[in-house]
Amino acid sequence: MKLPRLRRKASDPRRGRVAVPLTAAQSGWLGATILAAQLPGALHVPMWIALLGCALVALRLWLTARDRARPGLAAARIPSWALVIFAVAIATLLRASYGYLLGRDPSVAFLFVLVGIKFLESRTTRDGTLLVCLAAFLAITPFLFGQSPASAIAMLPALLLLGATLAALAARTPRAVAAAAPRRAVAQTGAMLLQGLPIALLLFVLFPRIAGPLWGMPQSSRATTGLSDTMSPGMIAELTQEDTVALRADFAGVPPPPSQLYWRGPVMSRFDGRTWSASFVRPDGSLTEPRDVGIDYTVTLEPNDRPWLFALELPAAMPEFSADEASIDVVVSRDRQLVARRSVGQVMRYRQRSLLSDRHPALARDAAENLRLPPDANPRTLSLAVQLRGQHAADREYVDAVLAHFRDGPFVYTLAPGVIHARDPVDGFLFETQRGFCEHYASAFAVLLRAAGIPARVVTGYQGGEFNRRGNYLIVRQSDAHAWVEAIVDGQWRRFDPTGAVSPLRIESGISRALSGALELPLFARLDAGFLKDAQLLFDAINHSWRRNVVGFDASRQREVWRSLRLDPALPGQAVGAIAIAGAAWMGVVLGWLAWRRGRRERVAAMWLDVCARLARAGLPREGHEGPLDYTARASRRWPDYAIAFHAIGEAYARLRYASVPSRERDALLAMLKRAVEVLPAPAALRGGG
Amino acid sequence: MAVAARGLPAPQGLLARWRERVFRSAPADAGEVVLRHSRIYILPTRRGLALIGTVATMILTSLNYGLSLGFLVAFLLAGLCAAALLHTFRNLAGLRVRPGSAGETFAGGSIPFTLQLRGDGRERCGIAVEPRDGPATFLDVDAEGTASAQVEVAAPRRGSVPLGRVTLSSDYPLGLWRGWSYVHFPVAGLAYPAPEAGAPPLPAPQGAADESGSLRHDDGELAGLRTYQHGDPLQRVAWKTVARGGGWYTKAFESGGGDGGEVVLDFAALPASLDTERRLERLCAWVLACERAARPCALVLPQRRVPAGVGREHRRVALTALALHGVS
Repeated sequence: MKLPRLRRKASDPRRGRVAVPLTAAQSGWLGATILAAQLPGALHVPMWIALLGCALVALRLWLTARDRARPGLAAARIPSWALVIFAVAIATLLRASYGYLLGRDPSVAFLFVLVGIKFLESRTTRDGTLLVCLAAFLAITPFLFGQSPASAIAMLPALLLLGATLAALAARTPRAVAAAAPRRAVAQTGAMLLQGLPIALLLFVLFPRIAGPLWGMPQSSRATTGLSDTMSPGMIAELTQEDTVALRADFAGVPPPPSQLYWRGPVMSRFDGRTWSASFVRPDGSLTEPRDVGIDYTVTLEPNDRPWLFALELPAAMPEFSADEASIDVVVSRDRQLVARRSVGQVMRYRQRSLLSDRHPALARDAAENLRLPPDANPRTLSLAVQLRGQHAADREYVDAVLAHFRDGPFVYTLAPGVIHARDPVDGFLFETQRGFCEHYASAFAVLLRAAGIPARVVTGYQGGEFNRRGNYLIVRQSDAHAWVEAIVDGQWRRFDPTGAVSPLRIESGISRALSGALELPLFARLDAGFLKDAQLLFDAINHSWRRNVVGFDASRQREVWRSLRLDPALPGQAVGAIAIAGAAWMGVVLGWLAWRRGRRERVAAMWLDVCARLARAGLPREGHEGPLDYTARASRRWPDYAIAFHAIGEAYARLRYASVPSRERDALLAMLKRAVEVLPAPAALRGGG
Repeated sequence: MAVAARGLPAPQGLLARWRERVFRSAPADAGEVVLRHSRIYILPTRRGLALIGTVATMILTSLNYGLSLGFLVAFLLAGLCAAALLHTFRNLAGLRVRPGSAGETFAGGSIPFTLQLRGDGRERCGIAVEPRDGPATFLDVDAEGTASAQVEVAAPRRGSVPLGRVTLSSDYPLGLWRGWSYVHFPVAGLAYPAPEAGAPPLPAPQGAADESGSLRHDDGELAGLRTYQHGDPLQRVAWKTVARGGGWYTKAFESGGGDGGEVVLDFAALPASLDTERRLERLCAWVLACERAARPCALVLPQRRVPAGVGREHRRVALTALALHGVS
């Protein structure tokens, strides 16, 4: 007795040693899959890369179609070495355009083209395997640039086509090839994806996530923010307003009134006559005491590519990430801003406690830092300050007088104030244009205070937000960016909002009410009521829920789920065990379901075989070549009394067996077949009657 | 023709029994075999491994960049793979296999075997049937009908050639998993010795030496017509009867009185310079030559004697005797 040989033979298709050439249909599937994987990402790569990558795929598809149309012609093939040179050239161009190649963006762009190049030269089913894998990977690269519900939907065609391509690559026999026909293959893949969905969801919830990156920190290229660390009032003719969401906040109880919603961001103490800028972050700030009273809320912060976290004034505790995200190191700056050690490159969720207060203690050195003014800039403003100071000796009175100056003067709140051309922009704003938005008012106000010897600085951040009743949370958009002033009055920092003096609505009701000409605002901030607004809020609620439960499903949320399932997060083995048990149960359910579906088909076959056997006993056996329709037609000629029943049997069986019938009609056909079989008499009676 | 291969003693010991159960190295399957889960093995194909590797890469990328949707796609693909596993299993599970016919060939050729496959109420796609020493055959099996798979087993030497262990496998529907099952039926075909090329002319017949090597038969010697059998020489077909539409008959001739005119092919009479195999090959060539010439021949082997005769059945008996010469 010889031991079984485990060596595989050369003819074994598993080894892939025998190169199986790609058929035209397989090439078509591959091309469709690659295009479906490329298209959602085409917006995130440079235009020339997008066009080139898709054009290469189209070229190959065209060549395949041409070869099929003219079989006699030698298939045109581009030599592999030319494509290698081409790939190197693309890499060089990408390096030149990005300045580096091993980063995220150039890598994605290179992969985008590489798939096309590989497709152009692919000949065998092994190349097909590689292409399927590349396309699968390419399908997730758009998520590097955004994880909206739309991007998830845009990925689905690639997934369906990928399954169909696999079916086409594996099809060897006529029936398998028929199963790989376009509609059937896509339907089959869809069914299998649905069957695998429980496994996918299970893994999504239970597969151990880890917090933080494995290698280099991802840098996103396109985060937007309405804030920056410098501010130059008068340099911007018109503030472009963005709908983009900056953050969302869920409040445990009743949210505070809009006038109290000051989200503290970068604080600017330096002023050179034109531009305010933030000082270096000095991580020695302190939190506001006392810590035990205050308002609690959870912030879902969109990526801003800055190291800024936002909290309502004034943060009373450090942001509380779940235990796993401790790697995000956050400090409180001396200006009481929350600053992370690295940029916020992904969606972050943290619990935050704040004390809603417009004052906090000043440090001894704060005063000196916040009094500096360039002596020769904005002379008219300085003289106005001297004049007002002469009338109001007390700091508090002086501040009120300045606010009254804004309120009573001919100042206009607008987002399109136009560029101030004067050499001294504060002078130009206060005495000439008198039109501006928060930056102008905050800047002028701070300069007036400093000129009078009152330490003052500009605080930027977001003010207000929109409360979404559908989701019970607050949406803060980039268009809610704001600037206000802090000044030391009576020995402590106090918040003043000169914009509110000019346009109280801006502070009380949000920016859309504050503007008379609503056209300056983006669509979503402008729509005040009615159906569209409602739809927009519903959409944002879905989006927020998506953010919270799908995109924001991270290591910490996973631990919550584990705990709610009575799994110990410290023992990943338990989760693995749970996955194994659930996986086994899933197998049982799916196999059982498939067997139940088979049961119906088997019942049909059994009924037909029963009819055949009865007719054979009655003296009319089925010929080998006879189909069901021919046979029942012959039977109804022999026994005309039962012609209707025979006709029904033949029709129902043939349709159930050979046609693709929608499920509702299938039940009706099955019932018809059953009734017709019951109508037929016993074979002996037929023999007698025939 | 099926010839029972030698039975093997039941394997002894737990390990040997386990090995036998897993690898089916003994022809222990009888009658119809139903492929059940205990017989079906499944492992990923290369394509499956490549896709699993891709999924792993996607998971790593998603971990690094915190891409929840990346995880979702990776896990959807994993779910697809898992579903494909079940479909591949189902494609094989419940399949019924029974041995069909076994053919014969000359040494150096390959023996065709057939296996009957029944779908048992389920359609089967892309089933590969692969003997150990031959190429795989791919076929579909109907839910209700029977499909026969023909496989060829190489026969390098004469003798009984067992079909051996046959692997039924399938990677339907997605080619990500290969499920397989072994069946090992006690079926064997026959390999006759390879006829010697350029063999010397037939030895002189006993008794009537002047008649050797000719096809001269006058009508007067015609003894009658018998039903045509597949393999009868075309020179002897009664064409007139065929042309009249009277059916296929072969002319039978008087063999010239008793055993006198028959050719006796004697193993022992061959030159001593030839070894056993060469002698068998020459005898084989002569048997075929007699058959072509429609001359009766008798075969004398050391342990076996085939009486004189003509026709397909005689040829088969003679060739079988040659094939099995010296095989206990």
